[in-house]
Amino acid sequence: MRLLDFQTALGRLVRAPDGGDPLRTLDLGADDRSRLEALAESPGFRFTVGVQRSWCIRRAANAGYMTLSILPDNLRRRLLDEWTNSGGGTSSFFATEAEALLDFIADRLPHPSHELTACRLEQAALRANEIAARFRAPDLDRLDNARCVVRRGRYAAIVLFYGEPDLILGALLEHRPHPPVLAETTAVLFGPGLDRLYRPASGSEVTLWKRLTAPVAIPVLRREGYRRDVIETMLRAGAVEYA
Amino acid sequence: MGFPYIAELPAKLYRSGSVDFVEVTPETLCRQRTAGTGGALEIVEDRVDRAREICGALPMVVHGVELSIGSAHGWNAAYLDMLDAFQASWPFVWHSEHLGFQTIPGEDGASLEVGVPLPLPPTKEAVALVADRSAAIARRYAVPFLLENPAYYIADLPCDPEIGDDIGLIAAILDRSDGCLLLDLHNVYCNAVNHGFDPFAAIDRAPLNRVVEIHVAGGSPRDGFWMDGHNGRVPERVWELLEYTLPRARHTAGVVFEVLDEFAPRLGAEAIVEQLGRIRDIWTRRRAA
Repeated sequence: MRLLDFQTALGRLVRAPDGGDPLRTLDLGADDRSRLEALAESPGFRFTVGVQRSWCIRRAANAGYMTLSILPDNLRRRLLDEWTNSGGGTSSFFATEAEALLDFIADRLPHPSHELTACRLEQAALRANEIAARFRAPDLDRLDNARCVVRRGRYAAIVLFYGEPDLILGALLEHRPHPPVLAETTAVLFGPGLDRLYRPASGSEVTLWKRLTAPVAIPVLRREGYRRDVIETMLRAGAVEYA
Repeated sequence: MGFPYIAELPAKLYRSGSVDFVEVTPETLCRQRTAGTGGALEIVEDRVDRAREICGALPMVVHGVELSIGSAHGWNAAYLDMLDAFQASWPFVWHSEHLGFQTIPGEDGASLEVGVPLPLPPTKEAVALVADRSAAIARRYAVPFLLENPAYYIADLPCDPEIGDDIGLIAAILDRSDGCLLLDLHNVYCNAVNHGFDPFAAIDRAPLNRVVEIHVAGGSPRDGFWMDGHNGRVPERVWELLEYTLPRARHTAGVVFEVLDEFAPRLGAEAIVEQLGRIRDIWTRRRAA
């Protein structure tokens, strides 16, 4: 058996030992296939899978610590199982793992819900924190250039709370009954240039954030009525950046 | 006597006189950029600055985990790009990696992490692949490159009779690449316990003339196996292996007590210093012998 075929087969078997037929798309002869199937039944292989699973769950549990800690036990266990069964938890890099895991969890939480808000909050805080130490506010004079284009900051977010943020977070973290999910929202801005990485977002900032789903030229924004001082404030916060 | 750099431990441990050199895993001082960069690794300057401040003037060696030197579909080029920059900012005395693989090609051709290091089969193809890569790395960094013998739990890997087993594999690779060995005695012990062979006989068969560094570590029993957990004190049997090996591996330049970041604070600085002291005692006695 070629080394590449053996490694691909073994790696797939370890990642998804019970997930269908991991060898199906590999060009293996009958002898090689039966040898790999026998290997996958061996105690050493099963132990290796157990080690892999425990490492993946540990990485994931660290990466989504706050969100996972506020979820009910059965939901937390189910999400971790689904995540590791789908190949999650394999990255050694915390930020990479956290970003992907929290997206995965967010896709599986009700919208709107306080749990989803907490998930997005953790993701936003981790993202902003990742470059906060070396963040430098950009040169605002570039806004005078007619060809200047801006976009949402890649390490920024606006998180919506469906109610009073302190009440919601307090209830979630202390496992108390949750306040109702209100129609009225409070927006919180996260950015690497902010003192504590977050602060309440103004209505103008929320509007600009929504407008920047794709990069937009500054003259276009100005024609549409977006104020320069709002753009400048968000640039300094790292919530908007030059494209 | 060496010890890994662990940010969570008190800085005074590295200035206590118990540690003569520090082993750094540079990936722990990096972050991975994802968007459009092919997984590029970026050194986080403030983490490196803190590590250098804590380690002071101690000599530093690199012990990598992310290269996946044995992956037939390609090694982790992003790791080597990062290491180029790392060496320029903080030169290392030597550089080591684990013999194994942890990435495979995905269905779309992109590299997939397995999530755990896996052993290479003892075949001529594996020897050629890793030996040529090892030689290239030694040329690239102009410092000794060491391969570490791994712990493995899967038996009956495909093999070529002329290579034989894991000891034959690493010996053949080092012979072809003229490389150096990081002999992990706890890994030898794990494999001996789990696969039922004599660890002293295995050491006798290892290319001891190529040993530059030795690792000792702790482990624990789990599900009928002895697990390479790096989670505590060194077992007595591994101390015996160190006593046995040191007089036979005459080019050994250092012995490292390995413990994982998450277990080190629980083990505590006092126990770490005690384990390092025991290494120093054996080193002094057995090197003189």
